Amino acid sequence: MSGLRAVATVFRKEIADALRDRRTLLTVLVSSVLMGPFVLLAISALVASLESNAEQRELVIAGLADAPSLVNYAERQTYTVRAAPPGFEALLRSATLTDAVVVVPKDFEAALQRGDAPIVEIVADSANQRSQASSGRVARLLAGFGRERATLNLALRGVSPDLLEPIQIEEHDLASTQTRATQITGMLPFFVLMAVLTGALNAALDTTAGERERGSLEPLLMNPTERWALVLGKWGAVAGVGMLIAVLSCLSFLPGQWLLRSDTLAAMFQYGGHEAAMFLVVLLPFAAAASALLMAVAIGCRTFKEAQASSTVVMLAASLLPLINVFSLGNESAWHLWVPALAQNVLMTRVLKGEALGALQLGVPFAVCVLIAGVAVWFVARSLRSAAVR
Amino acid sequence: MIHIEQLAKRFRAPGQRDRLSLRRTPARVVDAVVDVNLDAPDGCITGLLGPNGAGKTTTLRMLAGLITPDAGRLSVDGIDVVRQPRAALARMGVLSDARGLYPRLSARENIVYYARLHGMADEAANARADALARMLDMHTLLDRRTEGFSQGERMKTALARALVHDPPNIVLDEPTNGLDVIATRALRDSLRWLRSPEGGAKCIVFSTHIMQEVERLCDKVVVISHGRTIAVGSVPELLAQTGQRDFEEAFVRLAFGDLAPADASASGLPG
Repeated sequence: MSGLRAVATVFRKEIADALRDRRTLLTVLVSSVLMGPFVLLAISALVASLESNAEQRELVIAGLADAPSLVNYAERQTYTVRAAPPGFEALLRSATLTDAVVVVPKDFEAALQRGDAPIVEIVADSANQRSQASSGRVARLLAGFGRERATLNLALRGVSPDLLEPIQIEEHDLASTQTRATQITGMLPFFVLMAVLTGALNAALDTTAGERERGSLEPLLMNPTERWALVLGKWGAVAGVGMLIAVLSCLSFLPGQWLLRSDTLAAMFQYGGHEAAMFLVVLLPFAAAASALLMAVAIGCRTFKEAQASSTVVMLAASLLPLINVFSLGNESAWHLWVPALAQNVLMTRVLKGEALGALQLGVPFAVCVLIAGVAVWFVARSLRSAAVR
Repeated sequence: MIHIEQLAKRFRAPGQRDRLSLRRTPARVVDAVVDVNLDAPDGCITGLLGPNGAGKTTTLRMLAGLITPDAGRLSVDGIDVVRQPRAALARMGVLSDARGLYPRLSARENIVYYARLHGMADEAANARADALARMLDMHTLLDRRTEGFSQGERMKTALARALVHDPPNIVLDEPTNGLDVIATRALRDSLRWLRSPEGGAKCIVFSTHIMQEVERLCDKVVVISHGRTIAVGSVPELLAQTGQRDFEEAFVRLAFGDLAPADASASGLPG
């Protein structure tokens, strides 16, 4: 029979077989495809609460009665002033209190009058993220208070307040909103990569080590079908499942975006049809190569369990390599594009940053994927016969 | 028609590393098949009888093109298996030692999958699956998933799968392993029918280590032991050759020579 028809027959059977494995498929869908949007939601909830805290204009002071001038200043800046609850240190540690507390000494006003520079403490817990966020705001408020006092003192002595500010500082942030967003959304490519791998894993193992364990590989090879046709059909099915998961997980971020609670994050995280399409351009060759590689690892294993242990190496490599991108803090080297998993991570991060991808940037990882897939498929076809009888 | 001539295969088991020393033990050489000859004509059930480890499965795997022989000739209807393995496989239905099914597919899907790999169209494949199900009395099983099938049901499905392309040559490796009396009888009836002219006068090669199977079913017996063909003939001919009345005793004499213990019960199932 013609080779291509055999490929189609094997492909159809393996796809049907994989799709009937409902339980595994459901686990993959829930764990990897829904994981991304959930993480996105969790991040947005965190950012939203940080934002609301930052916008809150509240000042908590321990020793409120001893610092009327500070209270006066804060109220003029439209802050609401509250007295710190008793035992606020414990409350901060347990994260029940989410505002940094200003501790004012007893003789604050008198020392201020004398020009003794009283010590004002800002108490926050750096493990309590929200109190940490508010401590910066409180510090700025106190600096403003200090500046006002200094200006008044200088004005009384007839000195220009400008002497206090010999230079003027203006900040310009060159990062676009999308670039800033990747600080937060940088983990999305990682989730998508892992989703593709876990999606392909089960099918890759089932069509190789699983066939051996069931004892169905030997009878399969007793059909007058070319071995390369069998392997191509199997590989096509496994890669197809991996690609299906890739498509689902890329699309799953589209509705995930609507659920973003933080307006700033929603504005920064721009993920539309174009981004999803670019993700797929990067991911589909990766899905094909990863499927072939997993099959090549699994064909040498007698049982599904043995294959699971062996394939852990591939999974670990694929989850660790993207970390190079994280550790190098955006310093991309040219060689990053030659490393599978890392290259995909780099490219997807760029897509999220809103950068255009050139032909070379897409071409190198694509060529690497083709090479890996080719070698792995050749290896599986070569090992098939000896695997069947051993 | 299956013809095997002076077949030989030697396996090299890799040497094992001693736990303490770094040196490997030398590779072990196993002569699985030394000199097997077999001539199985059409319309005849030929039994390949031999104790465990005699080289039956290795011989049949070479016949199916899974292992390349070191020496000798294998041909199916005149087609050389080594040179044209796919042409030979197209004329053979092999029920191998391993007969795993796909548990998530129904029996029919398992059978049709193989039919399509043989190049059959969907309709023809389904019609053939129905016909085989009638012959093997398994039509109630046909549309059930094979997960949870009993040994006998599995064997029937695997046999139907092997016969789906209506091959003129049928090769069965220990087909009665794990089957109960009823299933064994049903299998025997099916094989007799396949041998008859109305069943297609197939050439059937049947490997086993069970005497009763051979006595009841085989027109011709090839006895192999330690990788060699040591006797060929019908059951009465072999009895006459050894001067025995009991076929089991005759087999033990043939397979193990005069060194074998006289007690038949100890060697009825040689290990």
